[in-house]
Amino acid sequence: MSQIVRAFQPEVDQNTCIKCGNCQTYCPEGTVMLTEEGVVFDYRYCKGCGVCANECPVKAIKMRREE
Amino acid sequence: MGIIRMLEGNEAAAWGAKLARAEVVPAYPITPQTELISTIASFIANGEMKAQYIKVEGEHTAMAAAIGASAAGARVFTASASQGIVFMEEALWMPPGMRLPIVMCMVNRAMAPIGGLRPDHNDSLLQRDTGWIQFYCENSQEILDTVIQAYKVGEDKRVYLPVAVCYDGYFASATATPTSIPDQKEVDDYLPPYKHEMYNLMPGEFRTIRGFPQNIAKARYEVQKATEKAKGVIEEVDKSYGEIFGRYYDGALEEYACDGIEAVFMTMGSMTGTARDVIDEIQAEGKKVGLIKMRCFRPFPTEELRKLAKKYKVIGIVDRNTSYGSASGSGIVAMEVARALYSLDDRPLLLNFHVGLGGSDVTMRQIRYIADKVLDAYQTGKAEDETDWVELKDLGEVM
Amino acid sequence: MEVNKLFDEYYEKSLFQGGSTCCPGCGGPMFWRMALEAIGSNSIIYGDGPCAGCAIRNIKLPTFGIHFSFAADGATGIVAALNAKGRNDVTVISAAGDGATGDISFGKISAAAERNENMIQICIDNEAYMNTGIQKSGLTPYGAWTTTTPQGKEAPKKRIPMIIAQHRVPYVATISVAYPRDLKAKITKAKSISGFKYLHTVMPCPTGWRFDPAKSVEVVRLGVETWAWPLYEVENGVLRLTLKPKQRPIEDYLKAQARFRHLNKEQIDYVQQEVNNERQRLLDFDGKSVIT
Ligand code: SF4
Ligand code: SF4
Ligand code: SF4
Repeated sequence: MSQIVRAFQPEVDQNTCIKCGNCQTYCPEGTVMLTEEGVVFDYRYCKGCGVCANECPVKAIKMRREE
Repeated sequence: MGIIRMLEGNEAAAWGAKLARAEVVPAYPITPQTELISTIASFIANGEMKAQYIKVEGEHTAMAAAIGASAAGARVFTASASQGIVFMEEALWMPPGMRLPIVMCMVNRAMAPIGGLRPDHNDSLLQRDTGWIQFYCENSQEILDTVIQAYKVGEDKRVYLPVAVCYDGYFASATATPTSIPDQKEVDDYLPPYKHEMYNLMPGEFRTIRGFPQNIAKARYEVQKATEKAKGVIEEVDKSYGEIFGRYYDGALEEYACDGIEAVFMTMGSMTGTARDVIDEIQAEGKKVGLIKMRCFRPFPTEELRKLAKKYKVIGIVDRNTSYGSASGSGIVAMEVARALYSLDDRPLLLNFHVGLGGSDVTMRQIRYIADKVLDAYQTGKAEDETDWVELKDLGEVM
Repeated sequence: MEVNKLFDEYYEKSLFQGGSTCCPGCGGPMFWRMALEAIGSNSIIYGDGPCAGCAIRNIKLPTFGIHFSFAADGATGIVAALNAKGRNDVTVISAAGDGATGDISFGKISAAAERNENMIQICIDNEAYMNTGIQKSGLTPYGAWTTTTPQGKEAPKKRIPMIIAQHRVPYVATISVAYPRDLKAKITKAKSISGFKYLHTVMPCPTGWRFDPAKSVEVVRLGVETWAWPLYEVENGVLRLTLKPKQRPIEDYLKAQARFRHLNKEQIDYVQQEVNNERQRLLDFDGKSVIT
């Protein structure tokens, strides 16, 4: 498995999240999932494109610069 | 037991496809191939043949559909000629690399602009580098038999390569000769249903060899190795076919009337029939010249040719094609022969002749001229390096 | 590693393997993830798209492709083989990009439509040759910058869906990854119809259209809302607009992409007029036959 080089990675604020599922629907890679415990990301494959953050209606996802 | 009928070459090819139970036939019409596909269309229409006939909009699609169908597990037959073959050239490169045993008749016809509707071999010889096995047939019987053999060779898992069955437009395609049609049951026993061990496109069973190879040279060498293995398989198939159907074609090269003879010339395709008659005549006159028919051009029968070459002092190669600007202005077959024989310590003199270009008749007079030239070289021990354009010579009355 | 396990289980079930080699924000993997849910597992995918099939490689179904000059043709052979084997349960999907569909293989798709081959032909349209480095295709829209149209393309985009509809095939539809429910419903419908079905999606390409990858869905949604890419279907010749959004000015769509950055007011007005005309035509024909 190749290592993904990302400038940003998504992070969710579970308290703001309204569990609409948009992030999961639109993520190109299928690396975000809405679970009973809230939204989780698969950082092994996530490309950090930011589509999930952009499509979130309540702006619960922030793109944080990766160290 | 088969029955005997007068069949034109195109009809014979259609019979071959029918007897082989081709399941998918994508085809586009072009002179002189049309009678072949219209015969298949009528076989299907009257229920004699159970195949999907795809009336495609061009030859490029014909070969592409052939590729899709072959990968999806169907036995495929198609045919084209001349401009059509060259139009599908891009697609023709695919089946060898994909190892798909499609069988296609290439009904030879000259390429535009300098050529009419009649045959020379540039259209199919242009495909010599693609990896297709190439047979050149002389008459209807050989065409029918070779189509069936082509499936047997191509679908052999040591080979898995596409096979072209080439024959001259008009002279072979539209000339009716007595043809023995094998019994369907015997063909069924000889040629079991097609099943590719490397491919299965069905959901749940998917298997493919697609994917970009890590080592390209190695992947190419696999195809090269398969063509080499095909030589042995062609010999085997010729034998096993002959045992059942009673007709042998001597594998890749046939020697005709060569006993005790040291000077020969080599032909390909329908002119071989004329050459046989000439050889009979001149040998009766005491001229000691024999004939070699090249039946299989790809894979090139290097070892077989080397073996024969030891017996001969002179070989004349008759090329029904042009390769403008080639070494010594040579024809394509002559270049291959020269390469194959170069490493022999004691190699024969080579002569090269162009005849029948653009589909002009190859006359007995011309063949006699060639035989005489070969004999001259044999007697003088000298051969001209340049290719002899026989048709430009004034040979007197046409016989 | 609870989360990894969760995802591994999901990938296991999904027909699309995450981690494609496409650019971040590419509409290709987005499209296939959505489409495959409707396509289902009893299918064979032929062809490529977008971008030399970078997304296709991650599809966990039988896939088979030749080259982009081979659209619909190999699928025709696969359909014939399935017919020969009596396997009419299998769905054959034939995918191609805009360069194949609009340019080099245009005749092939037209011919497959004319023969009414039993397949779903999908155009995955990123509006230029992206794999070779952003060159203009017949489906590049008017005004768009590409490396071969440095001052913007002069001719308009070919209207392939309507051209295919004129072949009188049973089903034609436009789709967009911004409207996944509509997209899946149209694929499901196409699957239920026998004969040649044509679907066409414009898909976002942040690299070639020059916008922030995060805006991928937003940009194509703007395309639909401005009526640059209206969503409709043509079933047995009858047109139905499947979405009639309140029209937004085309400038909103153009301004979101740097490939249109150089357009002047006059050019933008021209595009607006073209869009207005097309919108009016579609509204006029809504519910009626478009077969001329
Ligand atoms: S950043 Fe992009 S790839 Fe990563 S989870 Fe969000 S949408 Fe998916
Ligand atoms: S899009 Fe936003 S609100 Fe909706 S599930 Fe994802 S994080 Fe939650
Ligand atoms: S160039 Fe465009 S279409 Fe190609 S992978 Fe990148 S975003 Fe996708």
